[in-house]
Amino acid sequence: MSLPHSPIPPLGRRSALKAGLLAAGTAAFGSGLLRPATALAADDASVPSLAGKRIGITVIGTDHFWDIKAYQAQVDEVKRLGGEPIALDAGRNDKTQIAQIQTLIAQKPDAIIEQLGTLSVLDPWLKKIRDAGIPLFTVDTATPHSINNTTSDNFYIGEQLALRLVSDLRGKGNVVVFNGFYGVPVCAIRYDQLKAVLKYFPDVKIIEPELRDVIPNTVQDAYTQITAILNKFPDKGSIGAIWSAWDVPQVGATQALVAAGRTEVRTYGVDGSPDVVELVKDPKSPASAVAAQQPSLIGKLAVQNVARYLAGDHDLAPTTFVPAFIVTKENAAEAQKQLGQAPA
Amino acid sequence: MPDTVQSHIALPVDVAVPRSRAADTARTLVRAGSLLAFVAVFAAFAAAAPGFLSAGNLANVVGQSAVIGVLALGMTLVVVAGGNDVVRGGIDLSVANNLGLCAAVYATGLGAGWGDGAALAATALAGLLVGAVNAVSVVWLGILPLLATLAAMNVCAGLELVLTHNTVVAASSPLLDVLSGEYPAGVPVLGEVLLGVAALLAVVLHLTPAGLRLYAVGGHREAARAAGLPVASYVAASYLGSGLCAAVASVLSVALLSGSTTGSGDMLLAAVVTALLGVVFSRRLVATIPGTLLSALFIGILINGFQLLNISSYWVNGVQGVLILLVVAATSMLRPNAG
Repeated sequence: MSLPHSPIPPLGRRSALKAGLLAAGTAAFGSGLLRPATALAADDASVPSLAGKRIGITVIGTDHFWDIKAYQAQVDEVKRLGGEPIALDAGRNDKTQIAQIQTLIAQKPDAIIEQLGTLSVLDPWLKKIRDAGIPLFTVDTATPHSINNTTSDNFYIGEQLALRLVSDLRGKGNVVVFNGFYGVPVCAIRYDQLKAVLKYFPDVKIIEPELRDVIPNTVQDAYTQITAILNKFPDKGSIGAIWSAWDVPQVGATQALVAAGRTEVRTYGVDGSPDVVELVKDPKSPASAVAAQQPSLIGKLAVQNVARYLAGDHDLAPTTFVPAFIVTKENAAEAQKQLGQAPA
Repeated sequence: MPDTVQSHIALPVDVAVPRSRAADTARTLVRAGSLLAFVAVFAAFAAAAPGFLSAGNLANVVGQSAVIGVLALGMTLVVVAGGNDVVRGGIDLSVANNLGLCAAVYATGLGAGWGDGAALAATALAGLLVGAVNAVSVVWLGILPLLATLAAMNVCAGLELVLTHNTVVAASSPLLDVLSGEYPAGVPVLGEVLLGVAALLAVVLHLTPAGLRLYAVGGHREAARAAGLPVASYVAASYLGSGLCAAVASVLSVALLSGSTTGSGDMLLAAVVTALLGVVFSRRLVATIPGTLLSALFIGILINGFQLLNISSYWVNGVQGVLILLVVAATSMLRPNAG
């Protein structure tokens, strides 16, 4: 991360710096937020057709807001471009996803897009996709076997969320961390960025042992775990913040804080699901910030990358970063409009 | 039922003593209908699903059915020894979480630098221990198998979390390389292991005196006891066998997924469905090894064919539910001692 940032930089500037990696249409405008819909309109028309092409889409699950939005956007964009999607949802089961990929390889589609999942499980099978001569693209999965990975800049997300956290804590306090999905690369990046920032704020400490978030029953489980840890640290001020690599544990944690009357503790998460942005907007809620991604745009751009590649553009950048930004109490109302979660 | 002692002990498996002609006809119809349904589904996919009949795809299906298949084969042993009354008969609800625990033992063992030999021994021991706990609860404490194995299921889930902290534990070893490979080219080794385990169990269960006695114990426990069979040992052995099958399946799962993963418990329903569905492929509507193997392949073919036809995988769950309903309805109506 050698690029310079102000603590909460406008996305547009950063995006411009990364112009080589960003699809032109995603470049952000405005001060602090972005306007993807307007910016993309022109670009959509220039995407090559997928007529007669079959595109395999394999996702680990669609039970989370982010997952379903990114997945549905891929299916819709393949259809919009005239192609036939073979859309496979593994229902959050690694074994199912591997079986679907095996069969998908036998179906020999023109390209395969893989979204999320555990890298160590997937990687041998992603390699087999390439060995079978099928172009592989990924969404939120960084692997050398992928021609292009379309994703939020999770380095930026992790770093900005961490900076916000230490700023809110004024550089001092204990942090409860949910770290159950380190095997998922995007979660690992966010966590590593948190650690990288905390290294320079020695008075901000992660409480050991870290908590493990789970799927399913994420909200209930986070609620139970946070309630237990609040009992273990009963004094106000003994916990300053709760951090999670996505925003569903944040919901359970926030509810637990309200129920226990410990609203001095702040919560932080990633994704920007509508219910969490709403929580952040509420001035009385302990939900302090959430990094908002644009899952629909990510899914759509992944398919457009496939279309360009199949039309002969073999010079794609290995990563397409889609802008994300930090939603806070101050900008939440505006963010809802920008994210399409409230009338503009 | 005055004739059950003789029929279960003296007659070869799958030969029914003449009872009512109507019931026999109905059973034959169910069996013929099931085989016909299997063939019809196969033919429909062959005609409509592009690439379904290719050798590579069919080999794939066998490979994909391996983990659930071996679990269901273990479950079959328990159902045979306990009788196939779904509520009071033999059932092992711990198989899927036992697999999760064994996979965790194997993956963490390899991660700790143990060789394949030591890790395999520990894995087999873990599977057998869970089987032994089930055996003690069911046979000597007299707890309903449904409840006893439900408790063991939870113990396994907890122990797995202790070992893995609910994370994926990546693993690699020379054995895993062989298992996850294809030999000869295009034939998944996992599929060959499934067929091997099925062949071995089929010989034990259907061609040896011990297998015949296991059926006798499950068919009519009092009669088997009266005939001098050590009933308790046979039932206990079936749970040990099921535990060992879970351990074998766990190694296959680690090979498929390059490590131990979370969510093994999800496989329970599939294993139960497979073992119960298998009964429709036998003449007397009892659990058999070939029946379970056929049913594992049938479900594998359904999932595979749906994907090839580009029908949403969400339908597979619904179809599995309907199948189980049909099978339980047919078998409970037609079982000899029903009504």
